[in-house]
Amino acid sequence: MSRPRASPRERPQGFDLDRLANSCCARLSTAYSQRGMIAAPTPVPVLAVDAEAEAVVTVWVRVPAELAHDYQPGQYWMCWNPYDSTGDMDQPHHHSEKPYSVGDIRLDQTGVDTATAADTGGSGTALLGFTIKDLGKQSGELTRIQVGDWLGLRGPFGTTFPPLRSGERLILVSGGIGSTPLHMAARDVRMKHGERVTIDAVMGFQNKAEAHFIDRMEGVCDSLTVTTDDGSLGTQGFPTNVLPDLLDGCDVASTLLFTCGPEPMMRPVLQMARDAGIRGYAAMERYLPCSIAMCGLCMVGDRLTCTEGPVMEGEWLLDQPDFGHAHAH
Amino acid sequence: MANLRVSLPGLEMSNPLMLASGIQGGNAAALHRVAATACGGLVSKSIGPEPREMYPGPVCVEAADSVILNAMGLPNPGADVFAELLRTETFSKPMLVSIFGGDAEEYALVAQKLVDSGAGSLELNLSCPHAKPGSRALIIGQQPELILEVVSAVRDAVDVPLYAKLSPNTTSIVDDATAAFKGGADGLSLINTISALEVDPHVGRPVIGNLLCGMSGPAVRPVAQRKVAEISLAMLRGELPDAPIIGIGGITTALDVARFIQLGASAVQIGSALIWEDAAVFDRIHDELAEFMEVQGYADLDAMKGIALDSLEGLS
Ligand SMILES: Cc1cc2nc3c(=O)[nH]c(=O)nc-3n(C[C@H](O)[C@H](O)[C@H](O)COP(=O)(O)OP(=O)(O)OC[C@H]3O[C@@H](n4cnc5c(N)ncnc54)[C@H](O)[C@@H]3O)c2cc1C
Ligand SMILES: Cc1cc2nc3c(=O)[nH]c(=O)nc-3n(C[C@H](O)[C@H](O)[C@H](O)COP(=O)(O)O)c2cc1C
Ligand code: FES
Repeated sequence: MSRPRASPRERPQGFDLDRLANSCCARLSTAYSQRGMIAAPTPVPVLAVDAEAEAVVTVWVRVPAELAHDYQPGQYWMCWNPYDSTGDMDQPHHHSEKPYSVGDIRLDQTGVDTATAADTGGSGTALLGFTIKDLGKQSGELTRIQVGDWLGLRGPFGTTFPPLRSGERLILVSGGIGSTPLHMAARDVRMKHGERVTIDAVMGFQNKAEAHFIDRMEGVCDSLTVTTDDGSLGTQGFPTNVLPDLLDGCDVASTLLFTCGPEPMMRPVLQMARDAGIRGYAAMERYLPCSIAMCGLCMVGDRLTCTEGPVMEGEWLLDQPDFGHAHAH
Repeated sequence: MANLRVSLPGLEMSNPLMLASGIQGGNAAALHRVAATACGGLVSKSIGPEPREMYPGPVCVEAADSVILNAMGLPNPGADVFAELLRTETFSKPMLVSIFGGDAEEYALVAQKLVDSGAGSLELNLSCPHAKPGSRALIIGQQPELILEVVSAVRDAVDVPLYAKLSPNTTSIVDDATAAFKGGADGLSLINTISALEVDPHVGRPVIGNLLCGMSGPAVRPVAQRKVAEISLAMLRGELPDAPIIGIGGITTALDVARFIQLGASAVQIGSALIWEDAAVFDRIHDELAEFMEVQGYADLDAMKGIALDSLEGLS
């Protein structure tokens, strides 16, 4: 049988990517209105790829506005890269699917006349940004993804951070790519409470080249302290070196701490919060093969990270002997 | 209150609801977590001779309403690690330990190791490829000769009760059961997943990382019920020994449990339903089942066992 190849990178001249994105968006919309989630991996074409730092990119896809609106910080999407290692689709055993939390959300201005947008209520779509750091096989391939390539989505899955009240203070501590859920948490809190909350963030990176999301975080936080392992940017050291200054003298009853990053960083961060009498929460970055409570390979203590996490209470996590070690993703 | 107890070879259970193999059950923490629910028994992840990694994702998805597709690749810690787990852990519910191998010898070896470490009953997952060179596509459970070979080898190796878990992807499930009993099986579990394939029409390629996959979930229940009925009817006709059947496939409610029992099953296993309710599904179905039996006036499970076969008995 002679047949065309499943190789969407070779699209015909004059191909209308925008129309394809809209058609995929409609498919998402139908599924989302039936189930309140996207259960089957559903592909959408990548519309833009922004370089954030060395080996860190944000991949933008178009989704129905309600889906972006309902997203809760900390929740994750299973992102399916349908390409094999050669960039085609004719090799088995190379494509893969991993969890990513949303790093940013943008209004979709495509096809919107900004002068009349306020009257028409916008286009009914939004752009979801996944910010991905090259840490291995799948993330490496995703950082090289191109405009027009497919990214399959199913979700959202998992738990979110607890809500803040007006007048409260939020301390955020991220390590590396743990920046993504914390940026969304800060953005969410700021949108809900405006200046009636104080947000102080610490972002730890290995070095200056890896540093990303600094402008974004400065835009939504009252203060931002950057640390790098090698001192190439901000304070030299780990987030735990500067955290005591933030915890010192804060009103424990009205302060919350959220952290996301490698577990060997999160354990001491949560311990410092506990010692200071502050409620802490962590967004866990474990290997989540299935995301739907089937494989049982994401256990922390007696909980499944995929459905009872990724956001978990620090008090509980600190009591789990299997929390705090480095993990394969 | 209706009596839900079930007494099967190697399995004294407070009720007929068991965890299906491959669902969460590959490590101690996950097994304890399910044991803490109202389930009657556990089945472990299928354990093979060596540790195995997962296939690339997507490994398990809800492809459409009630349709679950998976190709995990039998990821498991291997017989040595699981044997250690059996030696060190005590579970609050009886557990069937599921095993697999590439050939009869491997099954026997794994069985031996696990029984030596305390496994009180085994389920033989026959839905895996035979390792014979050049026979990758040959599933053991699709060849009655291979079923016989594997079950006999395990029978010779260990003394504990054996449940042969049958594949639905065959021409005659009665022939498969015949081979399993001839090999020395004490009971049957059925069904395993149905061979399946899903393509994404936008991307133009299969969705599951392994390309080919198995289907489970509510959509397969009627298929599973028919297979259970075929076995039960063959038992009634005396073509198969009268032995316990554990019904599996798409169960999400107590009514589904009752359907399988009315078709002759003694117990059931539940897998895909944990997607929507996690292990708490056992608590709900347990309460629903007690209520259903109460309302129907069934004092125990035997009171409804096989009643739906009456109208089917004339068929062959
Ligand atoms: C809820 C959640 C949200 C997430 N959000 C984001 C996000 O927004 N952005 C982001 O970039 N990532 C995020 N991640 C992480 C992401 O899911 C992947 O784990 C990550 O991209 C690495 O995948 P990979 O396939 O590239 O890495 P892999 O190829 O699996 O390797 C990752 C690292 O682990 C090491 N490794 C692999 N296997 C082993 C092994 N067996 N033993 C020891 N080490 C091993 C590798 O050497 C490498 O350093 C999130 C994870 C979770 C659970
Ligand atoms: C994710 C997943 C993994 C499975 N792994 C195994 C396994 O390791 N061994 C086995 O015998 N059956 C395995 N099965 C099959 C189930 O035990 C069961 O027979 C099948 O899913 C039908 O039941 P259900 O519809 O309740 O899920 C698996 C099924 C699923 C969905
Ligand atoms: S990721 Fe499979 S059970 Fe949590």
